[in-house]
Amino acid sequence: MGCSSSLPDRNNGRLGVLSSENSGVADSKNLRVKLVLLGDSGVGKSCIVLRFVRGQFDPTSKVTVGASFLSQTIALQDSTTIKFEIWDTAGQERYAALAPLYYRGAAVAVVVYDITSPDSFNKAQYWVKELQKHGSPDIVMALVGNKADLQNNREVPVQDAVEYAEKNGMFFIETSAKTADNINELFEEIAKRLPRVSSS
Amino acid sequence: MSDSDSNPNPLENPFKSLSLNESQSIVANEAVERSANGDSVNGIASEEEEENTVGLIRAAEAQVDESSSSGVAWRENSQYEAEDFAPSSPSSSGYAGERGSSTGTSAGPIEEVGNDGIVRADSFSNAGAESAAPWVPGKRHLDEDDASISWRKRKKHFFVLSHSGKPIYSRYGDEHKLAGFSATLQAIISFVQNGGDRVKFVRAGKHQVIFLVKGPIYLVCISCTEEPYEALRGQLELIYGQMLLILTKSVNRCFEKNPKFDMTPLLGGTDAVFSSLIHSFSWNPATFLHAYTCLPLAYSTRQAAGAILQDVADSGVLFAILMCKHKVISLVGAQKASLHPDDMLLLANFVLSSESFRTSESFSPICLPRFNAMAFLYAYVHYLDVDTYLMLLTTSSDAFFHLKDCRTRIEVVLLKSNVLSEVQRSMLDGGLHVEDLPVDPSLRLGSACPHLRQDRIAPGSPNRFREVNVGIGGPSGLWHFIYRSIFLDQYVSSEFSAPLNSSNQQKRLYRAYQKLYASMHDRGSGPHKTQFRRDENYVLLCWITQDFELYAAFDPLADKALAIKTCNQVCQWVRDLENEIFLLGASPFSW
Ligand SMILES: Nc1nc2c(ncn2[C@@H]2O[C@H](COP(=O)(O)OP(=O)(O)O)[C@@H](O)[C@H]2O)c(=O)[nH]1
Ligand SMILES: [Mg+2]
Repeated sequence: MGCSSSLPDRNNGRLGVLSSENSGVADSKNLRVKLVLLGDSGVGKSCIVLRFVRGQFDPTSKVTVGASFLSQTIALQDSTTIKFEIWDTAGQERYAALAPLYYRGAAVAVVVYDITSPDSFNKAQYWVKELQKHGSPDIVMALVGNKADLQNNREVPVQDAVEYAEKNGMFFIETSAKTADNINELFEEIAKRLPRVSSS
Repeated sequence: MSDSDSNPNPLENPFKSLSLNESQSIVANEAVERSANGDSVNGIASEEEEENTVGLIRAAEAQVDESSSSGVAWRENSQYEAEDFAPSSPSSSGYAGERGSSTGTSAGPIEEVGNDGIVRADSFSNAGAESAAPWVPGKRHLDEDDASISWRKRKKHFFVLSHSGKPIYSRYGDEHKLAGFSATLQAIISFVQNGGDRVKFVRAGKHQVIFLVKGPIYLVCISCTEEPYEALRGQLELIYGQMLLILTKSVNRCFEKNPKFDMTPLLGGTDAVFSSLIHSFSWNPATFLHAYTCLPLAYSTRQAAGAILQDVADSGVLFAILMCKHKVISLVGAQKASLHPDDMLLLANFVLSSESFRTSESFSPICLPRFNAMAFLYAYVHYLDVDTYLMLLTTSSDAFFHLKDCRTRIEVVLLKSNVLSEVQRSMLDGGLHVEDLPVDPSLRLGSACPHLRQDRIAPGSPNRFREVNVGIGGPSGLWHFIYRSIFLDQYVSSEFSAPLNSSNQQKRLYRAYQKLYASMHDRGSGPHKTQFRRDENYVLLCWITQDFELYAAFDPLADKALAIKTCNQVCQWVRDLENEIFLLGASPFSW
């Protein structure tokens, strides 16, 4: 159990959530960050975002169409705030050619797979390659093994993912949108790794 | 799926002989005969044959032989569903006699009980209506394939396949399991095409089989619902359009590169879009009228919405569309851009059937097939409340943040001018009710004071008025009407009320209108101006002028002269209300 394994009530969480829109030009204390989620359809990208942004988990599957846009602002301990502008992509094949539309200019890419599906792990590797070729050169990449609550059905060993992430300079974390395990940690860790100097 | 040369009834099975490369002439003949003799499709049939038919079906049923079932063998005897029709009243629920010279009547035979095709025990919408569970989109009966009895008993199948015979979509059953069946359909289509004939229509016993070839994509409908050929063909066109809306026509290039290309992955996650479209074929008049309908609103309210949409359109948005469920609140197109009602139907269906749009704002590539079938547009979609949603379409893939700003501006204006609360009120009040039709012209209050229910009833007691008339319908036995303005590409339809309470009655009336529409628009038999039909279910009246089309249903005992007079009153009523029920002045359509 992580220290914040379930924090459905975001106001009591460690992360202060600001609701005001700071849509102006970001300064060094208030960052605006474009983040894109990529990965096979069904791995839980939308659930991760909704858990992070709204503190909810809805088990009924709602296939994403095109891409959804959500934003969430977090406050760090050094009193900087980071507004994540999140593109939750659909992950279906027909939109693959349009993915650059969403990851172009992204500072962060979160590549998600489902720990019970080796196929989705392969697909994740495809996205990593794609981003290495066409994404911003200084993009922060996270590899996320979701549905960690389904330990008994695990088909992708932690070790494989750790090695792959290391080789590709990504950070790796396993999450569960269902139990909220490691969801906040994922975004905090991203926040820590963001280059702080350039904020334009 | 064994071979089926043992068909006991080869003569009654033109389809079967087709599949075997023999007696090809049968198909060709059938197709030619159909196109030459359109009235056997839409003819207004006599009402006398039903009873014999039931007898025939019963007899045929006795010989059901389930062992021989090649995918293509539409053996008649295994297809009949007479047992499934309400056993309590076989005489009024039989199928039309397709063996006779007439094709169906506008009456009982067209009913298709249940959204789902099987009459017998489906939990979906049975005649009980009110208590029936709401229809839920999505594919059902995935476990079925062409060897399942239940699959073969479905009354209306839709298939999409590639020119190499690969399944792309099937209404029922898992596409992958239907590969054999698909290959057979492909063989039939290309066989006839190679012979220089375009197979469009085959009648196999009770079933009509309708083909639509769109380049490398073949669409097929197999139906025993007795809907006219034109209606079913129009439905195939819409299914194709829906596919283009998701993929654009450039999908054809995949087939040029690789004829055996498998298209199913490209449509991943869209089952609900297609099932909801197919469902709308049995309730949404827009699917055959090629017109859209508006939510009734005070003129000034719609104006307020239109003004802010226009403002936004001037800033580089191609189309700005504000809708509530399937009804338009207002819409605006950039200069010279025109939006076809079919595109609107397909777009609304796509958005309404994709749950994720309700969760958050989104930005998705979509194609409007009538606008430009080759290119994607980008759609910003956002729900303003549970039923009301805004769609902003642009050609620019970078426009998201601009559109998001536009939405914020629109939302502020709509809230300030109470448009959203007026929309909700209109949803509660409903549209036109036949009971409210002003009968005596001297009682009409004139167009200055519109007759929309919402203006006549104090808020808080929305039903008081209606209760008086429950069970009677409107004046002169008027039960329902649809008025389509030709100039505006819009229609208005009265609300269903007693005695058209159940969803089956409504669907039956809808099918009767559909048939009437087809016969009124039948090119073969010249233009009709009016039509009056009486059968045991209704009196149906259709009247077409340069300006409008009126379809009206009356009590079967209604007096003809009175019905005609009432139709005139309906038209007058609609004209008096046009400021509230239509979107005027801003028609973005090509003319
Ligand atoms: N057990 C479990 N199921 C999950 C988890 N996250 C998502 N799901 C389920 O996985 C399915 C797909 O999730 P969704 O977020 O729509 O996937 P997406 O296509 O990647 O956006 C849904 O039915 C979710 O209920 C999780 O952490 N644990
Ligand atoms: Mg999703």
